[in-house]
Amino acid sequence: MAQKKDVWQGTLALMVLKTLDTLGPLHGYGIARRIEQTSGDLLAVNYGTLYPALLKLEQEGYISSEWGVSDNNRKAKYYKLTRAGKKQLEREAREWEQTTNILARFLSPGEEPS
Amino acid sequence: MRGLRAWLLRLVGSFGKERREQDLAEELRSHLQMHIDDNLRSGMSAQEARRQALLKLGGIEPTKEIYRERRGLPLLETVLQDLRYATRTLRKNPGFTIIAVLTLALGIGANTAIFSMVNALLLRPYNFPELDRLVRVWENRGIDEGADARFIAPQDAADLQSGAPVFDALTTYKCGDFNLNTEGNVQPVLGCHVSANFFDVLGVSPALGRAFSAPEEEPGADQVAVVSNGFWQRRFAGDAALPGKVIQMNGKKYTVVGIMPRGFDYPVPMELWVPLALSPAEKTDRAKLSLESLGRLKPGINLAQARSAVDSVSRRLQQEYPATNANRRTEVLQLRKELYLYTLPLFLLLQAAAVFVLLLACANLANLLFARIFGRQKEIAVRTALGAGRWRLARLFVTETLLLSCIAEVVAVAVSFWSVKVLRTSIAPSWTMWVPGWDGIHVDRIVLAFTVLLIAVVGLLFGFGTVLHSSQAQPYTTLKEAGRGPMLGSKGRLRSALVVAQVMFALVLLVCAGLTTQAFLRLVDVYQGFQAANVLRTEIRLPEKSYPENSQIASFYDRMLRGSASLPGASAAALVTNSPASNVDNEATFFTINGRATAKASEAPSADLQISSADYFSVLRIPLVAGRTYTFADNANAARVAVISRSMAARYWPNGDELGQQIKLGAFDSTEPWMTIVGVVEDVRQNWWNPTNRPTIYEPIFQAHQRSMVFLMRVASNPEGYASAVRDMVRGIDDQIALTGVGTLEKEITDSIAIIRIMGVLMALFGCVALALSSVGVYGVLAEGVARRIPEIGVRLALGAEPRDVMKLVFGQALKLTGIGLAIGVPIAFAVNRAISGLIFGIVSINLLLLAGFTLLLLLVALAAAYIPARRAMRVDPMVALRYE
Repeated sequence: MAQKKDVWQGTLALMVLKTLDTLGPLHGYGIARRIEQTSGDLLAVNYGTLYPALLKLEQEGYISSEWGVSDNNRKAKYYKLTRAGKKQLEREAREWEQTTNILARFLSPGEEPS
Repeated sequence: MRGLRAWLLRLVGSFGKERREQDLAEELRSHLQMHIDDNLRSGMSAQEARRQALLKLGGIEPTKEIYRERRGLPLLETVLQDLRYATRTLRKNPGFTIIAVLTLALGIGANTAIFSMVNALLLRPYNFPELDRLVRVWENRGIDEGADARFIAPQDAADLQSGAPVFDALTTYKCGDFNLNTEGNVQPVLGCHVSANFFDVLGVSPALGRAFSAPEEEPGADQVAVVSNGFWQRRFAGDAALPGKVIQMNGKKYTVVGIMPRGFDYPVPMELWVPLALSPAEKTDRAKLSLESLGRLKPGINLAQARSAVDSVSRRLQQEYPATNANRRTEVLQLRKELYLYTLPLFLLLQAAAVFVLLLACANLANLLFARIFGRQKEIAVRTALGAGRWRLARLFVTETLLLSCIAEVVAVAVSFWSVKVLRTSIAPSWTMWVPGWDGIHVDRIVLAFTVLLIAVVGLLFGFGTVLHSSQAQPYTTLKEAGRGPMLGSKGRLRSALVVAQVMFALVLLVCAGLTTQAFLRLVDVYQGFQAANVLRTEIRLPEKSYPENSQIASFYDRMLRGSASLPGASAAALVTNSPASNVDNEATFFTINGRATAKASEAPSADLQISSADYFSVLRIPLVAGRTYTFADNANAARVAVISRSMAARYWPNGDELGQQIKLGAFDSTEPWMTIVGVVEDVRQNWWNPTNRPTIYEPIFQAHQRSMVFLMRVASNPEGYASAVRDMVRGIDDQIALTGVGTLEKEITDSIAIIRIMGVLMALFGCVALALSSVGVYGVLAEGVARRIPEIGVRLALGAEPRDVMKLVFGQALKLTGIGLAIGVPIAFAVNRAISGLIFGIVSINLLLLAGFTLLLLLVALAAAYIPARRAMRVDPMVALRYE
């Protein structure tokens, strides 16, 4: 169980960073929505996973937060990517790409490495 | 780095919770609201929109919980919580807390103080680099001459230096008195003649100026001096230009070349050092053991190697120079071990007693904590029933005991510093300046750290013990039955054992305390062979330069004795080589009885030698046993006479025919003149550490000349008041002679056994602490037992038991525990007594009265401790007690 959650936590962090990179400052609800939509509603993001992940990223200095007002005039906490967060995003994205490439090679049927 | 940053933020997050909590709640609320807004927009009813959003997002409270754990450091938070709780519990039980803290503080404080003292005195008496490589080297002529007669012949020292390859260097020195002339004033100073390499061997160089060079060891070139820091400060007010200046001593001019750093005082608190300049004849002398010697061993050479190397040289010398070196053995002893040969067993006893006190304190603490465990079973059961895990409970109790030990440690550290200070200042500086290392007594960090750690371990053990104990109990049965059970069931057995151990420790400690106190009193009594009251004492030394001839010495002493006899109020005055209680051993000598010469020199009998003037025996009121004492008429022109001590007479002339017999000093081949024994006097104990009265030969001063003497004068009253009169009188004879160590003989005796007195006081203190601790232990166990048995006692009373029976029950328990403790303690006390009586002079054997007294005392204390619980038991109201059933 713990193993699975770790992977999920790790990828969730990457998704959060990417979302903030693409859309700029955003509140928790917006981030959750965006991730769900991008995944084609395959992923469900609830409080219990999202907010601890956001807190961890903030403690690590990759994102910063600030209270603001949402489009429909609701008070909301906005998260913003920091410079360190940007670097972290690039690094993580690269690593993730590598991992998926390797896995893809393993999983593609019948091809022997030449 | 990221990890550290996150950790720090979490640490911060552990505090100021309220605001953050609100922050989170608001954020979640806004999240939910936005979700509902979206749902509404997609056409749901208000109710449905809310329901869907809540379903999707999961519970708010669990989220908060996870978030909280991530936000702060949960472990730290619970620890803080535990700490708060523990503080509250301890505050609510002030009696328990105070007793536990004091118990621990006493145990630790006593140990730290004693171990610090022992470490300072035994391990680092001097502040020289690589102290363990410094050894004292001396020649033993086959007579036990004691610590004050460790001398070596100059040529033998030189042969050792070249023949025994174990020394880096060997240095020699010879102490003497110096009289400093300042503006017509003569003041005695403590000085020492030392070889040029003296300071190198000790590893200390002057703070200012230089040490001696080899050419300054030649007679004529030796008028230079190195002075001590104290001398420099006192007499020259720390004048930085002192090196190069000239001081006048013994009528000669000395140039000061160096100033030693503060705290340098070897061999004894010295004020100055001058080169040891020996004439060629003196340098090659083997006959007289005239120098003291100190060597620095090569690195890596141990004492055994040094001994064997020195032995082989000394055997070779024995063969090559039988005339002087026959029977002479060279001995080697570590410098730091030399000092405390006599007091070492006392230190060890004290240390053992301190450890005992600590053990007692630990047993007491254990008892208190056990009592608390039993008292809290209900609480633990409730906590367990409400879902507290075993480890969570463990943390709680460990925190509590650790907090307790922390408080105790703070108090203990304070007690340690305080007691070390009291120890240091409890003896007059005029005495402690002769105790190397005394100024170095400070709270030993290692000892302190060790005891602190020990207590932490004790705290941890008890915290976990509580949990292990409680985890066996089923909450259901505990809750149902809490407060019942026999007074001392299986779980009480350990506690009873602890009380028994406490009683035993207490008895042993009390007996040790009694024995040392007794020994101290006996030591005071040791000096009963003479009367010390109303006697003034001072030391005098005639310099060789101005008094080269025996006749000059005799005439000076004659004038001095006659002069003091004419002082108003003085009844008698005398001179003697060594006064009793000086903490210096008498000179030992071989002697030969006319007609009973032994074939070998080494088989000749030995005795102490004292040279005194005629009135010595009357000044100290030493009783005459037979014959006569000598008079002024027994001078250089008269026939040689001697007086001997009673034990000498008894040993060598058991038939009582000693008067008129002839003896001479030295072995059969000595050229000393025969002396006729004219009288026998009562024995006088020289020093407290001498196990018996040594046979002593007294020679009249005008037949055996000596430059260094102790002057004793009996007056009607107030001997100190005569000090200046005596000084003036001596100045009237020769204004270049100064007196040293002026004081009363009584003071000398008190000072000489000051260390024993301190030990006695400390031991008595330990005994009292032991008594108090064990009574607290007995009380704790009984009080707790009674409290738990109240329902049972209620039933008994309801069924018709008399209050007297209940009281008997409690007192019976007290007697049983104490009785077992005493039964084990008495034989141990006997064994301990036997062990220490072999080690410490003055402790003869256990006094049965003393033992019975202490046993009774412990019993009484136990009964007194049982009184309060017994009274409570008697007053149990059956109705109230049974209502709990």
